[in-house]
Parts: sequence; structure tokens; C-alpha cells
Amino acid sequence: MRRAALLLACLSASVSAIAAPDPRTIPTKLDPVWQAKTRAVFKQAIEIPTVTGRGQVPKMAQLVADQLTAGGFPASDIRILPYEGVPGDKTAALIFRWRADHPTRKPILLLGHMDVVEAKREDWKFDPFQFREEGGYFYGRGTSDMKNGDVAMTMAMLKLKAAGFKPNRDIILFLSGDEETMGRGATLGSTEWRNLTDAEFGLNADGGCASYDRGFRPLGCGISTAEKTFQTYFFTAHNPGGHSSRPRPDNAIYDLADALKALQAHRFTPMLNATSRGYFEERARQEGDSPLGQQIRRWLADPNDGADADAIEANPLEVGLTRTRCVATMLQAGHADNALPQTARATVNCRIMPGVDPKTVQAELQQLAGPKIEIVPDPNYIGRPTPVSPLRPDVLKAVTAAIQRFHGPGMHVYPVMQTGASDGSFFRAAGIPVYDVDGSWGISPDDERAHGLDERVPVRAMYDDVLHWEMLLRDLAGK
Amino acid sequence: MRHIAVVLLACLPAAALAAPAKPALTAAQRAATHAMFEHVINTPTVIGRHRVPEMAQYVADQFKAGGFPADDVHVLPYHTGSATTGEDDTAALIVRWRAAGTPKARPIMLMGHMDVVEAKREDSTTDPFVLTEKDGYYYGRGTIDMKDGIVGITQAMINLKAAGFKPKRDIVVLFTGDEETNGIGATNGATEWLPLLANPEYGLNADGGGGGFNPDGTNAGFTMQTAEKTFAGYTLTVRNRGGHSSKPRKDNAIYSLAHALDKIEAYRFTPMQSETTRAYFSAREKMEKGALGDAMRAWLANPNDGAAADAVEASESEVGLTRTRCVPTRLFAGHADNALPQLATAMINCRIFPGIDPNAVKAELERVVADPEVVVTRNDKYVSSISSPLRPDVTGAYTRAVQTLHPGMPVFPEMSTGASDARPFRVAGIPVYGTNGGWVVVPIDFRAHGKDERLPVESLYDNVVHWQLMLRDLAGK
Repeated sequence: MRRAALLLACLSASVSAIAAPDPRTIPTKLDPVWQAKTRAVFKQAIEIPTVTGRGQVPKMAQLVADQLTAGGFPASDIRILPYEGVPGDKTAALIFRWRADHPTRKPILLLGHMDVVEAKREDWKFDPFQFREEGGYFYGRGTSDMKNGDVAMTMAMLKLKAAGFKPNRDIILFLSGDEETMGRGATLGSTEWRNLTDAEFGLNADGGCASYDRGFRPLGCGISTAEKTFQTYFFTAHNPGGHSSRPRPDNAIYDLADALKALQAHRFTPMLNATSRGYFEERARQEGDSPLGQQIRRWLADPNDGADADAIEANPLEVGLTRTRCVATMLQAGHADNALPQTARATVNCRIMPGVDPKTVQAELQQLAGPKIEIVPDPNYIGRPTPVSPLRPDVLKAVTAAIQRFHGPGMHVYPVMQTGASDGSFFRAAGIPVYDVDGSWGISPDDERAHGLDERVPVRAMYDDVLHWEMLLRDLAGK
Repeated sequence: MRHIAVVLLACLPAAALAAPAKPALTAAQRAATHAMFEHVINTPTVIGRHRVPEMAQYVADQFKAGGFPADDVHVLPYHTGSATTGEDDTAALIVRWRAAGTPKARPIMLMGHMDVVEAKREDSTTDPFVLTEKDGYYYGRGTIDMKDGIVGITQAMINLKAAGFKPKRDIVVLFTGDEETNGIGATNGATEWLPLLANPEYGLNADGGGGGFNPDGTNAGFTMQTAEKTFAGYTLTVRNRGGHSSKPRKDNAIYSLAHALDKIEAYRFTPMQSETTRAYFSAREKMEKGALGDAMRAWLANPNDGAAADAVEASESEVGLTRTRCVPTRLFAGHADNALPQLATAMINCRIFPGIDPNAVKAELERVVADPEVVVTRNDKYVSSISSPLRPDVTGAYTRAVQTLHPGMPVFPEMSTGASDARPFRVAGIPVYGTNGGWVVVPIDFRAHGKDERLPVESLYDNVVHWQLMLRDLAGK
């Protein structure tokens, strides 16, 4: 699941006297032949609806495998491993190893996922599984989360291979098939398949780092080094029900609605950790004397300053970064239009600060929801807190060089804590540090549509991302 | 959909007088009634099983065997279906018993439905489609909703004809085949089949009325259904841009919907009275000596006494009888647990006081919710149902029939909170009265649509006599 860094420097109007160029209109540096190849593969990938339960992920894995073999990689180094995600979801992972002739260091692991979040035709302006190019954007489910990253990594390796590049360490590509639901692929990848994936560190394409504000000012590139723990809870209200012509005084839907209102009003206690401190120090620098900048500085000086933390959290740019957040995402209640509901259930999705036990969050939720609501964690996915990955100088240097080649020195690179879990969390938990360093970018917040409507990526961001991964691999596996 | 009034109290002392001998069926009539009941219960006329036409043909054959001319017995196949109910090839039965000589008045229509709601073998103690007699009850799907009424009307007409009864006005029968689902049979009856029904003056519906005894054997009362609330469904829809759940937005479709539901929970529609409900509460207050009776009396004395109406409505036995009620029955929202919802919907089921336009209720819901983000739409095109005026002849005949079989039994009119085949006829200007003569023990035998539906054995036979008495009274004078 993609988390674009949500940064919007609230620079004062006086600073923006000089109009910045629209980054979408700057021509990509990728040559036209590779543009065409990239576009063709991207189109095919988007048009395979790899939503959970549809059984289409193996087809996408085959698409990637076919590109690799066509590019001259031996088929024996490409594995498609079928597995089951959520019960009944027949999906697959792809593991490809680009072998170094004489490896001098442990491998680099490249991470991505091939599955996408559901998208309904009736909710979208266009068919979400029909690839479209319009107004400088590619549209379709998965264009930003994260078939763009899958394609960029794949094309970068093909391009390097075509250029005769020989890595000095193995490069492993691991694409999972259920990141958006179970994360079972990453679980297997970090345990049972560890012999196929073991690496010095991982680079995850599921987290493009750079963005611009609407005035086209660079907002920086955040490299994820920590992440919140993902945990879904089910809130359930029960009732004897009955015939709807004779409403009872109590009603499962009303009980649930009361709990949802309490949830909406609830705020968890603000917290800071090493990564978020590094992040907010950079943000304070960007913000200067803006109200947000002052709030951040005050909070960093006094982490018990709850009022400033609340003000920061309320800023659309910083949502989820100061504390645990929980939000209602789904409802399901009743069994017939003319019967009182016997069950009403809400899905509440939480993103828990690193190091906090999900059980304490559950207890806090129970307190606010009251005794009429039964709360259980989603039995299909029990979140596990993960450690913060220390930021490696070689990775920081390589990413900074690549990012600033495309976006100039104004695009700062710094650590961030992700608000959601990705496949990286399983590898972090298994002792392989993971950094989210995809080279995609967008305009914040207009292009932040992962999981939402009319998902898109700037055309140039797609093409530059191929070059970005090419640079990273030359730097980290070629020197 | 069977509506037996939930009358729980009425602890009237059992008649101490030596009751005159009740009219009863002969042994042969009992046997014929039982055979017909067993045959129709054992025919599973659930939507989608395509068995209604077979039952219609069977009942038609009973009429013909009883001497009704084949030209006046019509089995009318039709199709029913909708997105939520599934499809069925079903049928209606229309029978016309012509008056001897020049009719004295327009026909009386006798109504019922042959279809039943689903019943699953694994949910039932005995096979719901095998009539089972046990402990003084007949068990099976349709025993009270409402194959007892089908048999009651059919056997009564056969018995009357055999006894030489000659109606002074036409008696027409309309048994439909999809009352529990789409009601297309009743709609056809009130429109294209109306000439076959000879344009009746009013209808007597066996799918309404009836009565009960308390578990201690005392009279609980019989009701005559003269009105029903309008069933109408609405949807509340909230749309939102959605997004990633790791970055909650300030606005959220689910929270907006929760606030709207909260307002609907707190809202009370204005209390209303009609001729039917005034008569109902006038009878009910006599049975209620305590606070509930006081509230009924206060409200009858002053229809603007909202607090009294609220107290009546809050009583478990009177829910839905003082006003329009709307309640949420289903929720759907979201598309993934890790995505902010783009769409959140609630189904609101309303039972609207007769005479109120469902479109007016939509406007009222919009005012209550008072949030432009929450869009209210209708789920159906039902029009307002209309109360049938109380007719002295029908009320008198029903009361006499009930009290002949059950001396001292209180009888009063009733507005049901559900919907039946009566609606399209009432809307078309043909009044309909729910006047079945079946009885149960209240409330333990209220099992229509539920598990182990059952009918007291004697109720089946009493109901045949009841319809004979009604027809002699209303068509014989």
C-alpha cells in the first residue's frame, strides 16, 4: 500500500514570488524507445485486475516473468510461487534473482506487490481497469499503488541488462500478491522462502518519496524507515431483531452509530520516536516561521505539549504522524429490508505507533465504544509492532543522488515514519532493514489517490522512475 | 403476510353462562377439510419452486368437484419476480359464484394468497412441508399464513353450495400467488382482472383479522383489519472522495451516515389517529386499567396530547399504531478495510400512516437528516394505502360470526403495521376488510414467517364455520 509523503510546505506567499515550473511538463530523460516499452508493459499490468479473490495475480506474475526472459534473463532464475492469501484468494509471488558473476556483498532485495485494492466501475469516472493516458497522467487502479513501481524496477533491470551492466552483488526482485489484504506473501518471503530472499537490506518500491505542492515547490523525499502497525478491529452490536413494522427501543444499528460517533471524536495520545523526530526536524526547517513550523518546534522542544501535537495532527499534511489513528472504513448490518437488524458491524482500521501493543489500543477502543459493542481484532491479520530501520549512509547517498538528478537540490531527502504497513514490515521484523525509495512523485495532495477514486500517476513520474531505479542499482550494486 | 393483532390482555372473565351449542362441521366435512389442508400444506408454494400453479389447479378442482361450473373457475398463470426476491412462475385462482336471479348488490370478493414464505427443513422441528398433527396443533409452513384461510373459504363455499345455499349477490374468489414477495397478483386483480372479478363492492381478506385466546384460556379478542400502513423503503447515501485509511480525512461517509442515523433514532413522527385506530383504541382502553389505559384515554380525549401518544407508542403491544415509524434495517459501506469509504448507505424501512404520501415521508426524512451530504432516495414506487371505512354490515357480520363461535369475545377494528394484497384494491377504491376466523393462543403461536408455524387443530374447522356464517349473513339476505 502506497503512502506518498504528504508534505505541503505552507510557505508564505512572499516566498512564492517566482513561479516554479510545473514538474509534469518537464520532459522525461527516459529515451523514447524505453518510454514505449515501459508504457506497453504498464498498460498490460494495469489492465489485469489483480484485486483479491479474482485470481488474476498469477497472470501479472507471468507478464513480469515474460518480460524478464525476453530481456535475456535465464528462466531458471525466475520463480512464480502460487499461494493463498485470504481464504480462497489464489494468488502468487514472483522471485527473480539477477546473479552476480562474482558477488562481493550480500544481495539487495527489491520489494513490490502486484495486487491492487478493489475499484468499482460505478464509483469511477472511467473503467479503473482500462489504462488511460490523459492530461499528462496515466489513470487506472494500481497506477500509483504500485504497478508503477513493479514496472519501473523491471524495466530498469531490463535496461541495465541491455546496456551490459553486470552487478557486483545479487539483485533479488520479490513481488508479492496479497500485500493489500493478508500480507501472507511477505510473511512467506521473510520466513519460508528466506533462502531465496535473504539480503543485506531491502529497497521497497511501494512508497514513492518525492512530491510537489500545488505551486510546484518541492516538498522533499521521505525515505520510510519505520512504520505504524496495521490492525483492523471489528465493532459488532448484537440485537434480538424482529419485524421492522414493530421497531424495538434498542437497535443494533443505533448502538453501532453511537460507538462510531465516539470513535470519530476520540484522539489518541501524541507520541514521538527517533524517526518521526528526524522527520519533524526536517519539516520544521521547511516550514520556517509558519504557524505549522512554530507548532512543530514547540512540540519537539516539549513532547508533552499536547495542544501543539493536536494542531499538527489536524493539518492535512501531517495526518497520522503524531499518534495512533483509527478510522471506520466499512459497515455491514442487517439481513433483510423488512427485518430489524440482528447484527451491525463496523470495520475500524487502526495505524498504531511503533512499539505500542495493539492490545492496549483495543482496550482503549473498548472504553470509548462502551459495553454494547463487542470489539475483536481481525483474526485474518494480527498486527505485529516492528523496529525502526537505521538509515544507512549508502542508501541515503544513492537515493539523494537519484532524486536530486530529477528534481534538483531543493528536493531534500530525510527519514519518515509510514502511517501504514507494507510488505517491508515483515522483512523488518525478520531482521532485514527495508527502505521505501521509489522514485515516483506527484502533486500533493491532488495526486494522492491510492486506494481512492481515479487513481493516477504523472506520465513523467512513471518514466523517470525507470531511470531512478537504474541509477540506484548502478550505485548500490555496481560500485 | 399474516397480521394477527397482538392483543395480550383482555382478561375478561370466561362466560359463566351455559353456552348454546356452537355450529360445527359434520364428520364428512371435517374429513374433506383435513384432506384439502393436508394437500395444500404439503405443496411447497415458496417463490422459485414453481408450485403455486399446481396448488391453484388443485383448489380449482375442489370447486369444480363441489359443483361450481368450470366456466366460472379460472386458473391464471403469471410471472412474479424482482432483484431481491427471485423469480417464480406462479398463478392466481378466480372463482365466481353467481347470484341466483338478479343480484341485490355488487359482488363480495373473498381474498387470500396461496404462496408461503421459505421454511428450511434444518431450521424446523418437523418437515415444514409435511402437515404434522401434534399436541392439538397442525404444524407446517402456511398453517396460519394462510392456507387455513384458503381452505376456510373454499370448504365453506363447497359446504354452502351442497346445503343448497343460493347467494343473493355474486361471491367472487381471488387467491393470489405472490403476496409474500411482489404482490403482482393483487395488482393485476385490481386492474386487468377486475372484469373477471365482476367489479366487487368490497373484499373480505382471509389474510387479516382473526383472534386469540390467552394461555389461561381467557378471551384475548378478535380484530378486523380495516387499514394497513404503507410499506416504503428509502436509502440514505453518503459519498466521499475516500482515500487511504492511514490518512483519515476530516469528513468520512460512515461518520456522516452515523450522525444521520442518530437523528432518525431521536426523531418521532407526529402522532395520528384514524377512524380505525380510534375504534381500536376505544376498545383497547376498556381492557387496560393501568397507565397504558390512562394514556389511551388521554390521547382519545385529546388527539393533540403528544405525550400520551408517545406513552402508547412506547408500549410493546402498541408499537407502530400511533404514527408513521421508520427504522434502519441494513447498512453497507466501504470497499476495503484499509480504504476510507467512498460510499456508505443505510436502508430505512418505513411503515407510513394510511393516507400519508410516501413522497412526503421522503421530504420529512430529508428535513430530519438536514445534511446535504446525505441523499435520501426511495427504493420503490408504492403509493399511499387508504383505510377502508367501517361498514356496519361487515362489522356486524364479523362480530356475529366471531361471537357465535366464541361467546363474549371482544371484537374491534385494527390497522396493521404490515402490508398485504388489500393495498391495491383499497387504492382502487374497493374497501377491504381482514375478516378471517382463525384463532391462536397469544402470543406463543405468533409464528408466521418464523420457525415451527402452527395452527390449533380446532381453529381450522372453526374457520370453515366462520366463513359459512359470514357468507350467509352478507350474501344471503
